[in-house]
Amino acid sequence: MTGIGVLGLVILLFFILLLVGLSFLERRHPARFRRVRSFEELGKAVERSVETGERVHLSLGTGSLIGAELAPGLAGLTLLDRVASATSMSDMPVVVTTSDGALGILAQDTLRSAYQRVGEPRRYEAMAGRVIGLTPFSYAAALPPVLTSEDVSVHLLLGSFGAEGPLAAHFGERQEAFVFGGTDDVPSQALLYATTDDPLIGEEVFAAGAYLDVGPLHSASLRTQDLLRAAIVLAIIIGTLVVTFGGGP
Amino acid sequence: MKIGTYIIWAAAAVVVGIVVLLGYFIEQPLILETRASLMHWAVILAAAAVFMGLLNLLLVHWSKISTQTKGWGYSALLIVFLLETLVLGLIFGPDHNLVLLLFTYLQLPVEISLMAILAVVLVVAGYRLILRRRDMLSMVFMGTALVVLLGTLPWVVSGEGAIIRTLGEMRAWITQVWAVAGARGILLGVALGATTTGLRVLLGADRPYGD
Repeated sequence: MTGIGVLGLVILLFFILLLVGLSFLERRHPARFRRVRSFEELGKAVERSVETGERVHLSLGTGSLIGAELAPGLAGLTLLDRVASATSMSDMPVVVTTSDGALGILAQDTLRSAYQRVGEPRRYEAMAGRVIGLTPFSYAAALPPVLTSEDVSVHLLLGSFGAEGPLAAHFGERQEAFVFGGTDDVPSQALLYATTDDPLIGEEVFAAGAYLDVGPLHSASLRTQDLLRAAIVLAIIIGTLVVTFGGGP
Repeated sequence: MKIGTYIIWAAAAVVVGIVVLLGYFIEQPLILETRASLMHWAVILAAAAVFMGLLNLLLVHWSKISTQTKGWGYSALLIVFLLETLVLGLIFGPDHNLVLLLFTYLQLPVEISLMAILAVVLVVAGYRLILRRRDMLSMVFMGTALVVLLGTLPWVVSGEGAIIRTLGEMRAWITQVWAVAGARGILLGVALGATTTGLRVLLGADRPYGD
């Protein structure tokens, strides 16, 4: 094992220990996070859609299950779980779309589990989890018919998006739906900032679980991220000072 | 029965995840070979999932046609072209001129047209942003976007005047200092978020494969 491998493994173990430790702490001392307007508005919009009998649509993006695009897709599935539970009493259960076959299957599994958990297994329809286009732009082009035919009033985008992300958001805006969006790609985040009602910036994309009370491990994840970010910032500052004043490389 | 099934899926996901992760840190032939095999399996499974996705796409549009939902004609067209491309691909292979022709002269132009629409969408979105969210951050966002756009114009890039030069320098300063610093900060947060999301799956706390 190389030196960098050992260091990586140590950091990873520290990460896991911190995560598990903080999740136990979370049960006794629940964390209080800063307000994120997007999540507050999301909750209100989902409630409104249930009351008015309109549908929530969640887009898991155009990333594949293999590779770095998986993480925002998983964040999208966490959101799907919560939204499916929250809208299980509605006449119009949530519809979820993606461009990846594997994510589509996971979306169907998530829907089935969420409905079973709230005691409404009959709500589950396999067609509620759909693959609507296999390339990013064919996916975006296929969105307007879904939004209009399903009477969508809440259009959520949480997954991996590229340049097609703002187009997908725009189609929701044209439908006069509440548009909420987040992705891991930095340029697409900037574009979603302009095209969505409530954008998620940076790590907020992965904070849905903590803000929607999915479980203590989700809140612990956010605490762990905050602690490690503080440590990294400190390391950068120390490194800068050492290089500037210590005559380093 | 339900509990047993859930434990099997969770245990399989955790063990596979740990082996793949260890492969990045420990250079033992056994771990590296196991990791490579698992990754190959994942690629094969993902390819099978693409086929499942295709079937799902077909079923969604077929049900639209059978129920005569509004716009069912588009669904019929989609199915016709989907089956046509599939059959041609199966008969002649994906590299045949006929299949490539369909991609080059149908799929590609349509996707590029959508890309072109994006420019218009973004201008409209910028205008709506100012109307919808009149806060400091939105104003700074739009102001910065305008300066960068103006600074990228050809007459600015090749211009000699003092104002034009200042605009060009401002654009360079914003994109090379502020934007890069901001993007690195955001990337740091995204990387930490992605890591914790992956670790939750590895710990069996998040089970996207169902309960």
